Amino acid sequence: MVLSQKLHEAFKGTVERITGPRTVSAFKEKGVLSVSEFIIAGDNLVSKCPTWSWESGEPSKRKSYLPPEKQFLITRNVPCLRRAASVEEEYEAAGGEVLLDNEDNDGWLATHGKPKETKGDEDDNVPSMEALEISKKNHIQSISSYFGGEEEEDIPDMADYEGTNNLIETDPATLQSTYLVAHEPDDDNILRTRTYDVSITYDKYYQTPRVWLTGYDESRMLLQPELVLEDVSQDHARKTVTIEDHPHLPGKHASVHPCRHGAVMKKIIDVLMSRGVEPEVDKYLFLFLKFVASVIPTIEYDYTMDFDLGSSSN
Amino acid sequence: MAKQERSGGSILQFSPFQSFVDEGFWHRLSSLKLNKFGIDDSPIAITGFYAPCSHSQVSNHLTLLSESLPCDESEQSSVPAISLGNRNRCSVPGILYNTNTLEAYHALDKKSLLKEEAKKIWEDIHTGKAVEDSAVLLRFLLISFADLKKWSFHYWFAFPALVFDPPVTVVELKPASQWFTSEEADSVSVACNGWRNSSLTAGVPFFLVCIASNSHATIRHLKDWEACQGDGRKVLFGFYDPCHLPNNPGWPLRNFLALICSRWNLKTVHFLCYRENRGFADLGVSLVGEAVITIPQGWRDLQCVPNAVGWELNKGRHISRVINLAKSMDPAMLAISAA
Repeated sequence: MVLSQKLHEAFKGTVERITGPRTVSAFKEKGVLSVSEFIIAGDNLVSKCPTWSWESGEPSKRKSYLPPEKQFLITRNVPCLRRAASVEEEYEAAGGEVLLDNEDNDGWLATHGKPKETKGDEDDNVPSMEALEISKKNHIQSISSYFGGEEEEDIPDMADYEGTNNLIETDPATLQSTYLVAHEPDDDNILRTRTYDVSITYDKYYQTPRVWLTGYDESRMLLQPELVLEDVSQDHARKTVTIEDHPHLPGKHASVHPCRHGAVMKKIIDVLMSRGVEPEVDKYLFLFLKFVASVIPTIEYDYTMDFDLGSSSN
Repeated sequence: MAKQERSGGSILQFSPFQSFVDEGFWHRLSSLKLNKFGIDDSPIAITGFYAPCSHSQVSNHLTLLSESLPCDESEQSSVPAISLGNRNRCSVPGILYNTNTLEAYHALDKKSLLKEEAKKIWEDIHTGKAVEDSAVLLRFLLISFADLKKWSFHYWFAFPALVFDPPVTVVELKPASQWFTSEEADSVSVACNGWRNSSLTAGVPFFLVCIASNSHATIRHLKDWEACQGDGRKVLFGFYDPCHLPNNPGWPLRNFLALICSRWNLKTVHFLCYRENRGFADLGVSLVGEAVITIPQGWRDLQCVPNAVGWELNKGRHISRVINLAKSMDPAMLAISAA
């Protein structure tokens, strides 16, 4: 870890210890959330997008200012079929991005600035039943045909034991294409299917939600956090996405650093208000996740709802 | 692959359950092993979690989290370890054999361990426990060796399934949206979403779909089977299907069919593989099938436990898995990454 980052972490930790959590709402003024507003927004996310749920995480890491059963939000096993770099051109071509901050080079980009266009993108990502039928024949291949002959390095000494248990289960009712790869959009035989656990914690220092990514390869083995950066928009990969200890789970995870979340949310809220839309705090996480989608464009977590961005109200 | 032809049926093939172990599970197991279990290697009751397939591209897994293990006494917890009614965490009972040495791990008699778990499922089917608490049909087995010096964990899952001999055949298997009329499909979606949204039923993975002659669908508990009969009603046997494949049902249907044929003596069964898209019923991805069962000889006899299969394959082979967590557990490595 860089020294400046370490110093900042120490400072942040001290401030978090000695200051109380935010109790007064400053949602419209600063784009930040109080603890109770985070709970309200989280409850709404869980009810509208049921793949998300509240969890309590490691008991030893529990934060006293949050209810024990509502420590953070998580959605598990979210598919990510393409690396972010491969879709960046498409996003640029689609013109669906709104530069929210051009004061400096760290400006956030919000995709989905034009909701209708991005809607089309999403539809393209969901294969129809017909596509799946066809893909069954073409795409599902056993992993050994991909990695033919290559010994797996994570299975060191098993060959000696293989077969000694006489475990060959011959059963005609077991589907024999035993290692099934998900539907993949392209045809060039490169495995891209990853899955992610995406979690949202409350960052007491910045008073905003914070997104964490835990990535898995196609056999659901943990991805090194460095590989997770391949699924982060290249504008953000080395700057706004950092690898740190998760506040509620063991291990290091990639996280979208929250230092500018408040400012970005404030701008989104200002845009909405200028269009005559009164933003409601329980929708904060939908706005937030829409903007996070610009950082992780290919991780297909759920944040959709019937939601008027205000584009048609004027 | 199961065919969709009506040529008298082909063998119904089930997509195997896949396991996933969260890092937190190994952390808590290590802590329990050091602080509580010591050299005691008696089997431990654990809880696995699963949910219906929720994205059309990937199957869901039987997942172990730190909450799958009993609480470590060194940690104070005021919350119940497992919160009921979490629709993304349908609880499944399992058993963990964690050995003290790698040799003992390899020496475990996997065949008889699997048989033992299959016997429990068989007994639950015969006693009717599986009708009251259907999650016992999904009982699973995990063997492991935790090498706390190297922070590596050897493990192997089994999802015991009772084997029908001769195998079950399928005469029809198609997307539920094509099998139901559009009125029925709408009503089934509403009823399934209601079942999934109620904290009382969200974690119940097996159920009945009853469709009245006016196309109105209701979801009922298995124990209401008798009450659902008659009046020209259609009754389907539904289950949360973790599998995403368009031509195969997932593993949970296997023991469910064993229950259906033993309990209600049915030879033709309509089943619903319930799947979701973004957390809501999706009948385009869900499947309805018609299975034809030839009740195997000896299935009336409780003493005569059928064969079972279900050791999980690792990349297509019958071998154990190993994960190394030195990066997040080794104090030396942690010190380096923190420096």
